[in-house]
Amino acid sequence: MAHEIKIPEDVDLPASSLWSKLWIIGAGVGALGLVGTFATYSSNQKHIYHSYLFAFMTMLSIALGCLAFVIIQHVVRAGWSAVIRRIAENAMMTLPVFVLLFIPVYVGVHDLYHWSHAESLDDILKAKAPYLNMEFWRIRAVVYFVIWGVLAVFFYRKSTAQDDNQKDPSLTRSMWKASGVAVLLFGLSQTFASFDWLMSEQPHWYSTMFGVYYFAGSMLGAYAFMTLVAKGLQKGGLLKTAITTEHYHDLGKFLFGHTVFWAYIGFSQFFLIWYANIPEETEFFIHRLHHGWETVSYALPLVHFFIPFFFLLSRHVKRHPTGILVGAFYVMAMHILDVWWLVMPNAGGHMGEKIWIDACALLGVGGAFLAVFGFVMNRHKLIAIGDPRLEESLAHENY
Amino acid sequence: MATDMTAQSYGDVNLEDPVSGRELLIRGNHDFHYVTEAVCSVAEMKLLDTPKPWVFGWMLAVSVLAFLGSLILYLIWEGVGIWGNNNPVGWGWPIVNFVFWVGIGHAGTLISAILYLFRQKWRTSINRYAEAMTIFAVICALVFPGIHVGRIWLAYWLLPLPNQMDMWVNFRSPLLWDVFAVGTYFTVSLLFWFTGLVPDFATLRDRAQHKVAQVLYGIVAMGWRGSQRHWNHYEKAYQIMACFSAPLVLSVHTVVSFDFAVSQLPGWHTTIFPPYFVAGAIFSGFAMVQTLVIPARAWLGLKHIVTIKHIENMNKIILLTGSLVGYAYTMEFFMAWYSGNEYEGFTFINRMFGPYWWAYWIMMSCNVFSPQFYWFKKLRTNITFSFILSIFVNIGMWFERFVITVTSLANDFLISSWDYFVPTWVDISMFIGSFGLFFTLFLLFVRFFPVIAIAEAKSVMPEADPHYHPPHDDHPAPAAAASA
Amino acid sequence: MAKPPRTWGLLAQYESAADIYKACEKVRDAGYSKWDAHTPFPVHGLDKAMGDKPSPLPWMVLGGGLTGGTFAMSFMIWVNAFDYPLNIGGKPLASVPAFIPVTFELTVLFSVFACFFGLWFLCRLPQLFHPAFANKAFARVTDDKFFIIIEAADSKFDKSNTRTLLEQTGATLIEEVED
Repeated sequence: MAHEIKIPEDVDLPASSLWSKLWIIGAGVGALGLVGTFATYSSNQKHIYHSYLFAFMTMLSIALGCLAFVIIQHVVRAGWSAVIRRIAENAMMTLPVFVLLFIPVYVGVHDLYHWSHAESLDDILKAKAPYLNMEFWRIRAVVYFVIWGVLAVFFYRKSTAQDDNQKDPSLTRSMWKASGVAVLLFGLSQTFASFDWLMSEQPHWYSTMFGVYYFAGSMLGAYAFMTLVAKGLQKGGLLKTAITTEHYHDLGKFLFGHTVFWAYIGFSQFFLIWYANIPEETEFFIHRLHHGWETVSYALPLVHFFIPFFFLLSRHVKRHPTGILVGAFYVMAMHILDVWWLVMPNAGGHMGEKIWIDACALLGVGGAFLAVFGFVMNRHKLIAIGDPRLEESLAHENY
Repeated sequence: MATDMTAQSYGDVNLEDPVSGRELLIRGNHDFHYVTEAVCSVAEMKLLDTPKPWVFGWMLAVSVLAFLGSLILYLIWEGVGIWGNNNPVGWGWPIVNFVFWVGIGHAGTLISAILYLFRQKWRTSINRYAEAMTIFAVICALVFPGIHVGRIWLAYWLLPLPNQMDMWVNFRSPLLWDVFAVGTYFTVSLLFWFTGLVPDFATLRDRAQHKVAQVLYGIVAMGWRGSQRHWNHYEKAYQIMACFSAPLVLSVHTVVSFDFAVSQLPGWHTTIFPPYFVAGAIFSGFAMVQTLVIPARAWLGLKHIVTIKHIENMNKIILLTGSLVGYAYTMEFFMAWYSGNEYEGFTFINRMFGPYWWAYWIMMSCNVFSPQFYWFKKLRTNITFSFILSIFVNIGMWFERFVITVTSLANDFLISSWDYFVPTWVDISMFIGSFGLFFTLFLLFVRFFPVIAIAEAKSVMPEADPHYHPPHDDHPAPAAAASA
Repeated sequence: MAKPPRTWGLLAQYESAADIYKACEKVRDAGYSKWDAHTPFPVHGLDKAMGDKPSPLPWMVLGGGLTGGTFAMSFMIWVNAFDYPLNIGGKPLASVPAFIPVTFELTVLFSVFACFFGLWFLCRLPQLFHPAFANKAFARVTDDKFFIIIEAADSKFDKSNTRTLLEQTGATLIEEVED
């Protein structure tokens, strides 16, 4: 039981590793995906922008989830996560690049958001115009990106500075200090971004819970992403001793916990609207109960909750090398389905119509995301080697 | 009482968070036996030696409880007309009190279950108080809907019992979900609490000097003998109960929020209600734990077991949940405007500047503004300040429920049916009376129960680790090293 | 009528968690089966040192939970849609979403019942009397001392050999427990 704690050596990405080429692969896939997405622009304009928004919000959710994860680790002074935190740190460093990825959303605003046609609004939308107008929408987008960029760069710089400056406690302390305010900034920016970019697609509809719903999905995506990358790195012969069953067990618990959290938020949102049955609120679900979308709507509780719930319930599965891999992969797929279900019904078509455009968009934005992720990963150690809590994390055991 | 005064005052010393390693949860260099002594000494005090303040306090609580009892009799005799409830405010103080107490009842299971699942070991010093508080608070909560049914002798109609009229309850009604949610919560909390108490009752049994105490503690300890084969099942059971209690806590206040939110009333019907109610409940629950623990740790001589670190941690949770509540208020407000629904918009403006503006601003200043002081470590680690602020939070959370319930009902869709709600003396006295019930039970608990989870507190001490090596091998035990 | 006292087992006392941990490994390796360690708090990893099997409790709880959930949902559908159908608020008679809160609560309730009663069943408690309680030293098992008891009923039990084994494990006190 009482193993000697060894500081892992395999923490540098060797140039021979496939992972060090991830940025090229990602960039290639991304470019092809984006070309494929916009290839039929003249005939499918509206659908293409929706597909793009779906892909954008999916990858953004993962990056934001990773940012939230890093902040939370500092707020609660976590020790167990020191060996996997760098994965999330690399992923959150994609956030500044999302400014570029936002361009198509910006260009396609009139296809995506009905309220952007200021000249043809009904009375209710006119009343909302002080919030839902182009100028303010642009300013808000700038604010969100500035907040996320600053937070990501701050926590990344401090953490990587610790790599060479072994165990400098002042760096940890400054991250702790900033983390409290970071939670506040993150919470508000994340919420309003989800209102601006997702909820306002159906501008009459509103739900106070919507920001929390998107957050729940983000965390699922982030935990699944971290698990998959950790598994992948170990397959590639890296971090062999650093990340143990215990860490996967914890990631599995979080996957499980957030599956329940997502279901709780999703059910509450649906349930209150269903029970009160007020037309302006039911619009959201009515929309998703027609044109084939009812299949997804009825399937979500089963495939996004019951199946992963019972699968991840078992301690044995969470600790099983393949079990957790399957679980993370599945949860990631379900999270993508969830965002797809949020965005695509607004494109107006039948469920699954022109799904190849959606797939291309996901490859495009996903490829770009992975390219940046791979690029960042090449630049520093694969784990926060200078974290003062590293030993605690390496020796971590569940009870 | 514990006499180790240096260790005592050491508990109030504010230490910097260590960057690597963890701060000792129990301050000072103590062995296991010391923990047993420190916790048991209160419960083992002779009846006649009971401190005067306790006797006085308990008698006061009992007389307030007796007052509540006579008010309930009066209510049953006269009917609910003696309350201030009117038309349209059919839900007045009783529901406000109900939600207030149920909310307080959340911190206990939260500390026991959720902090346990998150491996927050500091919980061991405070979980027992908090669990006891939960159970007593839920009892207080259950009183109000119980007497609100009017014909109290028919209260069993709440349950789905077969009857000669062949009628069944309506499972589509949120009020019935409440019966199940609160009932389940009470039962599960009680079982969870009892399970945690069994090993500590065994400690009291094994140390009992008096035959009566030995027999009584012996019965509730059920013959626990610390067997490893039992611990094996026990730890699993505790873990499972924690896993179930965590979502259960969330579900209870979620269901309470459904009572309001499934309606179409502006200010009640909003989708963020479930998590917002839960955050508020945790917020008020932790505030109540602070209110109870801060004096108790001083009077019972447990300052080195419930240290400033514990208080600071709880203050951080108060800051977090207070801000979450603030987030929910913001979302509600924003959406009231964003919805474009004039009734929604009016309700929120009316809350701020309408006839109940004072209640609204008490709520805002106590719940959202006051916890913001805890951004400063100096204030988080100031014991007097923490105590005062916890009382403000308690007040604020009561007013939150008042604002939600009364403002929405008093000024609803139809202007001709508006009315102003004024509580009667019975309303006010019953609320005060519920504190009598709460403190009667709580003081009994403090006097006769192990107020700290002894076995658990020992298990988080460094020497509980089977691979622990004492710092100096020439000393047999760390305690000896400390006294040398 | 008092029976002459019989040896029920041998009790050995240890001073620390580390000591009993090592002692348990030795007793386990010596091949005893009817023996037990007694500690004031759960010692982390002692189940492995004793070679104890994982608790079957989770399966009982799963059974309880499934029973509770299935019972709740089917009972509510039967009550509100079949036995006493009544249109309230225009909601469907079998309003599955509206039945979810109670289904959840009863799932939890039944699971926790299964867990609570299962726990005491597996421990065979309450059992107010146990031979070890007669031993004066054993009273500190709930305070700060650690014990191993090897039962005389064990096939490998032999008064002197077992005592020697316990002595080798660093016990600070070895006494006979009488029936």
